[in-house]
Amino acid sequence: MRPSQHSSLPLRLALYALMVLLAVVFMFPFLFMLVSSLKSNDAIFADVSSWRALLPVGPLTGANYANAFLRGNIGHYLANSVLITVVSVGLGLVVNSLAAFALARLEWRGKQVALTLLVILLVVPFEAISVPLMLLVAKLPGIGFGGDGVHVVRSWLDTLYVQVLPFVANAFSIYLFHQFFRDIPKDFDDAAYVDGATPLQVYIHIIVPSSRPVFATVTILQALTMWNQYLWPLIAVPGEGARPLMVGMQQFFAARQTAWGEVMAYATLSTVPVLIAFVVFQRWFVRSVIGSGVKG
Amino acid sequence: MNARRSRRFQPLLFGAPAMVGLALFVVLPFLMALVLTFTDQQLISPEPGVFVGLRNYERLLSIRALVQAPERNDVAGTPSFARVRSLTRHEPAYLGYRPLGELRFGEHRVTLLAKDPAFLTALGNTFLFALMVVPLQCTMALGLALLVNAGVKGQTIFRAIYFSPVVMSMVIVSVVWAFLFDKDLGLLNQALGTLSFGLVKPVDWLGNPATAMPAIVIMSAWQGAGFQMLILLAGLQGISQELYDAARIDGASMWQRFWYITLPGMRQTIIFVLIVTTIAALGLFTQVDVMTGGGPRGSTATVMFEAVRHGVREENIAYGATISVVYFLLITAFILLHQILLRRSAKVIS
Amino acid sequence: MPASLDLCDIRKSFGSTEIIKGVSLTIAPGEFIVFVGPSGCGKSTLLRMIAGLEDITSGQLRFDDVVVNDWDPARRRIGMVFQSYALYPHMSVEQNIGFGLKLAKKSKAEIMVRVDQALSVLQLTPLRHHKPSQLSGGQRQRVAIGRAIVRNPNVFLFDEPLSNLDAALRGQMRMEIGKLHQHLKNTVIYVTHDQVEAMTLADRIVVFEGGVIRQVGTPVELYDHPANRFVAGFIGTPTMGFLSGRVAATAQGEGVALDAAGGQAITLPGDLRRVAHGAALTLGLRPEHCVVCPPDQTMLSGTVVMLERLGAETFAFIDLPATPAPVAVRLDGGERSLVAGQRTGLRFDIERAHIFDADGNSISSSAS
Ligand SMILES: Nc1ncnc2c1ncn2[C@@H]1O[C@H](COP(=O)(O)OP(=O)(O)OP(=O)(O)O)[C@@H](O)[C@H]1O
Ligand SMILES: [Mg+2]
Repeated sequence: MRPSQHSSLPLRLALYALMVLLAVVFMFPFLFMLVSSLKSNDAIFADVSSWRALLPVGPLTGANYANAFLRGNIGHYLANSVLITVVSVGLGLVVNSLAAFALARLEWRGKQVALTLLVILLVVPFEAISVPLMLLVAKLPGIGFGGDGVHVVRSWLDTLYVQVLPFVANAFSIYLFHQFFRDIPKDFDDAAYVDGATPLQVYIHIIVPSSRPVFATVTILQALTMWNQYLWPLIAVPGEGARPLMVGMQQFFAARQTAWGEVMAYATLSTVPVLIAFVVFQRWFVRSVIGSGVKG
Repeated sequence: MNARRSRRFQPLLFGAPAMVGLALFVVLPFLMALVLTFTDQQLISPEPGVFVGLRNYERLLSIRALVQAPERNDVAGTPSFARVRSLTRHEPAYLGYRPLGELRFGEHRVTLLAKDPAFLTALGNTFLFALMVVPLQCTMALGLALLVNAGVKGQTIFRAIYFSPVVMSMVIVSVVWAFLFDKDLGLLNQALGTLSFGLVKPVDWLGNPATAMPAIVIMSAWQGAGFQMLILLAGLQGISQELYDAARIDGASMWQRFWYITLPGMRQTIIFVLIVTTIAALGLFTQVDVMTGGGPRGSTATVMFEAVRHGVREENIAYGATISVVYFLLITAFILLHQILLRRSAKVIS
Repeated sequence: MPASLDLCDIRKSFGSTEIIKGVSLTIAPGEFIVFVGPSGCGKSTLLRMIAGLEDITSGQLRFDDVVVNDWDPARRRIGMVFQSYALYPHMSVEQNIGFGLKLAKKSKAEIMVRVDQALSVLQLTPLRHHKPSQLSGGQRQRVAIGRAIVRNPNVFLFDEPLSNLDAALRGQMRMEIGKLHQHLKNTVIYVTHDQVEAMTLADRIVVFEGGVIRQVGTPVELYDHPANRFVAGFIGTPTMGFLSGRVAATAQGEGVALDAAGGQAITLPGDLRRVAHGAALTLGLRPEHCVVCPPDQTMLSGTVVMLERLGAETFAFIDLPATPAPVAVRLDGGERSLVAGQRTGLRFDIERAHIFDADGNSISSSAS
């Protein structure tokens, strides 16, 4: 239905008005967050009953941001989250696309069984396994990097890698890669094999360069998941050393309920990287969501 | 060395890292969950858990009704009842039960007793949440999709704006909305007050058991609708424009075109969106954990919240795992339902 | 160096279904061999087995007398052109052609020289930096060929390389491939559905049906002396007409009683001693060996169902009684006034008719 092609001007104006109004509804919490992060608590409370609450007017301050760093230790948590996200997405792209390559492009016995198992794994929600997973990682010996150098630790709890390794291999990512790889003409591989390529070379020179969209999709979906992780670090990372951003946010919020400006500054700092990525790669975000939903 | 023979083993090599990861971090915990539910495993305990049979499930799901006739010892005739607690203390049949809720049937009072009333309340809350948020969010999403698809200029920008909350962390969204919901200073109450010229009294959104869950519903729908909008939009755009042109030539009105072409054409997509939204709703955790901590008076506790509370905060891994398994069965039921609906609708179409 | 190929009882099964059922064939160095056959008969599968892309279930494949069954495609030194061209979309023309050399770890300079050479042979030099998506169908085809020739393959494999092109371009590319073969003198195996391609390019044509070879021979041999009814019907356009009948005695000797003529017999020239009296026979008639005539001057008469006017020639398709498919007749000058629906007689030159026994094998004296 595309009424605009034929519909009258008043109808179109009404449509516009409605859409703009809705846009305000969807934007105002952001605006409020951004604007409040720049105001002192007194100014925030003075402005709440008027439109000024959503406008950066009156005396603006950077003190909230300074406090987010000083009191909220956001610098440390931000670094943790960046590290966790980058490493797990990077490893995940390689590991999952290689597995999908084996499933989609190579012939081997047991492939059908593997595909079936994969589809079964798709329906296991992370929430359902998070509690036993905690017991598991609590018993896995790991490596610690303390002040006394590298040493073996008794469990994975409270580490950075406990936030990375469980999420590297991902059934849904493999599934997305598989769907995409399957549709690349098989002749490409054959032509490359005739040219003398090994399967690894086919993967590197043929499949990866032809699959940028699915790499983008998986990157975006996985990065969002990792950046926004909350339940798992809440369970597996009780201490502060390896704490990621979102748990830090919750703790800061719980500790400083009344310091609206500081909490908003913290929230803004946690959101801005994602928002910038979203604005720049908007089309890709949209495509990945549709790709994940329509096929998944 | 024969390259063709070695190629046989390469697929396994390529798949190995992913297989190890999935086996260790998905399959193993899942199997562990199944086993743990029959033990009394604690997180920090020197001994391994011992086999306790179905005791965890029994504790989780036991429920019985206690029917009491009124004892009229009052002249005015107001009925009074024996105290439930004294019964559950002394009667062996009710040992370990605590009250979940009560009903009146005429003169009689029916008290529902459960071994874990908190869980059953949470289960009820979870369903209640899904029941409220799914229709709201999906209707919003369909409306947004139709609007964006109406073909006015700038649809990319509007689409991006409506979608933008989805990319935000639920923690951040919850924190920001906690302020918006604030009783005295929250924008929501301020706006309601101003728009109604002070007629609407400030609502203590998150502090009142009656409004806390609806507040979380509103926020969740706002945050998530953009996702369903995109999926529905893809479905809308998958309907051939020629169908609309043909209907127009047949003289169908805009409403008729929506009813006879758009909706049937979107059937599969809508079913998919409903199921996905429901499954996501059943996993409700973050909003509750950040905004209300399950309160006030347990009115926003959910299944996942209970799983984490028992499994992690109280370190009763076995019981937490039991709740997780029940949750998994719930999700599986909905996925099966989806498959059945798909089969049906495929039959309707063919 | 063109290679000789030996296929010895090659077989291929997918699961429990056998697709290639024992193919034996010897190909001389520099020979241009064309595979034809109905869709699904296993041409591509056999070609891919020769390329090393598909395992050989049993039998032996030899290149220059060396068994290569277990060799990788690259080691067999073949060049292959795919129906879809399979040009790597993210690489330029130059990179596509040079990819195999790069994988073989040749020096930059050598790659450059050889790619340049291939580009100029195929007149692609001005397009060297283009991506495949920026090329026309014919240009893509040439890049695909360039990718195959740049490594100086021993054997060239083509799988329906021209089927995605329009008719005019197909004719042009057909000539280019012919010229290229004369120039490079490689051994070529070429799969096609197009008879003109097969007839014009082939030194020898191999006709397949259901995973077995039905006949091997030069184009003229196959046309003039088809070994069986299948090959006779497969080669030649319009298709050979078939009349069924039975062996019968005539006044002049041995003959065949034609169903289409209501059982009237016609004397056959050759020797039919191998066939029992009363046995079923089929006569095969090429369009150019038939003529139309007034219905009362012959024992065969029927209705014209269609006329195919191709400009230089015209064919009439005549529906005869008790004959499943209409028989094609090439008309010469005079009878062009024929119209569809008209009744007409048909005569043919019995000396040039092909005779097939009940199993479809040729028993024409001329077929041996
Ligand atoms: N990987 C495979 N697994 C199972 N069966 C296959 C496979 N590849 C081909 N076949 C079957 O083998 C038969 C021969 O296929 P092939 O592609 O060789 O035919 P073709 O002669 O090239 O046909 P066309 O002229 O249509 O290209 C077909 O019946 C096909 O279904
Ligand atoms: Mg083929």
